[in-house]
Amino acid sequence: MYDKILVALDGSEGSKKALAAAVELAYTFGAELHSLAVEGKLPAYAATLGEVDEAKAEKDAFFDRIDREAIEYAAGRGVELHPVKMVGDPADRVVHYAEQGEFDLVVLASRGHSLAHRFHLTGTADKIIDHAPCSTLLVR
Amino acid sequence: MTELWIAVGIALIALLASIISVEFGLSIAIVEIVLGVVAANFFGLESASWVDFLAAFGAIVLTFLAGAEVDTHLLRTEFKGSLLVGGVSFVAPFVTALLFSHYAAGWSWRAAEICGVALSTTSLAVVYAVLVETGLNRRRVGKLLMSATFVTDFGTALALSLLFVKPTGWIIPFVAVSALLIWLLPKISPWFFRRYGDRVIEPEIKLVFFLLFLLMALGKLSASHAVLPAFLVGLAASQLYAGHDLERQRLRVVAFAFLTPVFFIRSGMNVSLTALGANLGLLVALFGVKVAAKLGAVLPLARSFVGRDSVFFTLLMSTGLTFGTISSLYGYQAGIIDKAQFSLLVTVVVASAVIPTAIAQRWFRPNTEEEVDGMTNGRLVHAEGDD
Repeated sequence: MYDKILVALDGSEGSKKALAAAVELAYTFGAELHSLAVEGKLPAYAATLGEVDEAKAEKDAFFDRIDREAIEYAAGRGVELHPVKMVGDPADRVVHYAEQGEFDLVVLASRGHSLAHRFHLTGTADKIIDHAPCSTLLVR
Repeated sequence: MTELWIAVGIALIALLASIISVEFGLSIAIVEIVLGVVAANFFGLESASWVDFLAAFGAIVLTFLAGAEVDTHLLRTEFKGSLLVGGVSFVAPFVTALLFSHYAAGWSWRAAEICGVALSTTSLAVVYAVLVETGLNRRRVGKLLMSATFVTDFGTALALSLLFVKPTGWIIPFVAVSALLIWLLPKISPWFFRRYGDRVIEPEIKLVFFLLFLLMALGKLSASHAVLPAFLVGLAASQLYAGHDLERQRLRVVAFAFLTPVFFIRSGMNVSLTALGANLGLLVALFGVKVAAKLGAVLPLARSFVGRDSVFFTLLMSTGLTFGTISSLYGYQAGIIDKAQFSLLVTVVVASAVIPTAIAQRWFRPNTEEEVDGMTNGRLVHAEGDD
């Protein structure tokens, strides 16, 4: 039913549930599993380069850890995970990546990890669901 | 209000600003300025002499960091284009804002000069964040933007130091010590960092602070401003810091944790909402002057250098934040501009960080659709540069 699955990761508890569901589906259908971690926006209107560099380095380190944990989790359940990281607007990136990669299913969480994410959560999830070129699974 | 309660208020604002910054992905500087405005206008938070002193030092540390962040290799690579674009990006808004504020708004010549300097700036950090986020920092448009911004920043520092000099006997030692430090620092720093660096007592940060305080003291004696030598000393140290990330990070930690919050919060505290309300028309006009001057002068040049990305390029060259705030605070603390003029300038500067950036990203962002061409496992996928 699904040959190629994409799961969106952001390190939140919700995205861990999304990963668990995606791994389960990939195992069940023998599908290829990819993850996309969108690092989100850097501090808007920064005052120093240092602020941007430090924020970028923190995001890189954070998402490297997320990727490592996701790979280990999937491997422990007999699934190989192919992780990718990007910078920018999460909804745009997920939709675009799903199109380019010709995925059959996008799995995403219903909750992000920051207060700001929660405020525009509906917008992000709605945007992905509305514009994704394939089926989407929203994990609560 | 006792000084200790002022300290409590500023520390609380700095803490709240950090939390808001993290949660909403906003620059800490803008949040600190806005909270400073709110605290002074609605809660009556006052300043103290030590706050003003630390704010002035924070401005010099920010200037040093801006110099230390200059990529000299990039500047050499794009020297001709950056000199031309960056030079025009400084001169055009400087002259336009100076003439407008003097003839149309009736500001004194000296106040108009502060206006010209504050509105001539381009924010390197605002530009950089957009470029890193889009991956454009690896393309020519991004490289030229960065290097041109270095030049504009240098023009701002130069103008701020030279325009307000009053010839005194101290100007000679000020210039001599500045020149000596710029020449000597790259020579002695490698040895100093090797011998004394990487210790929790931070001798290398103390060296930087000593040099900056010395420049401030000599600058004050010569009735000038230490912003130019601080920028150049930072520039002289940039190669050294490029190879010492840990030392640079420690300096940033000290600056971001204590000095720059005081600078930005104090800047916000100086803003009078009443004065802004009474001068809304002038506020809009000054913002228009800055952006129109940048667009009018930089856009034709940008067309010849970056073609279809020229509007995006020019809008980002229209941003301002740190140097604009530094210039305004200097003018206010030196008695060159009054509270209403300061309020107008800082508000225009903050608006110029936000509005042109938002427009550039929303409607003129260069195409980076090729970003997902290479779906390589585990690595950050970016636009492929044309370098």
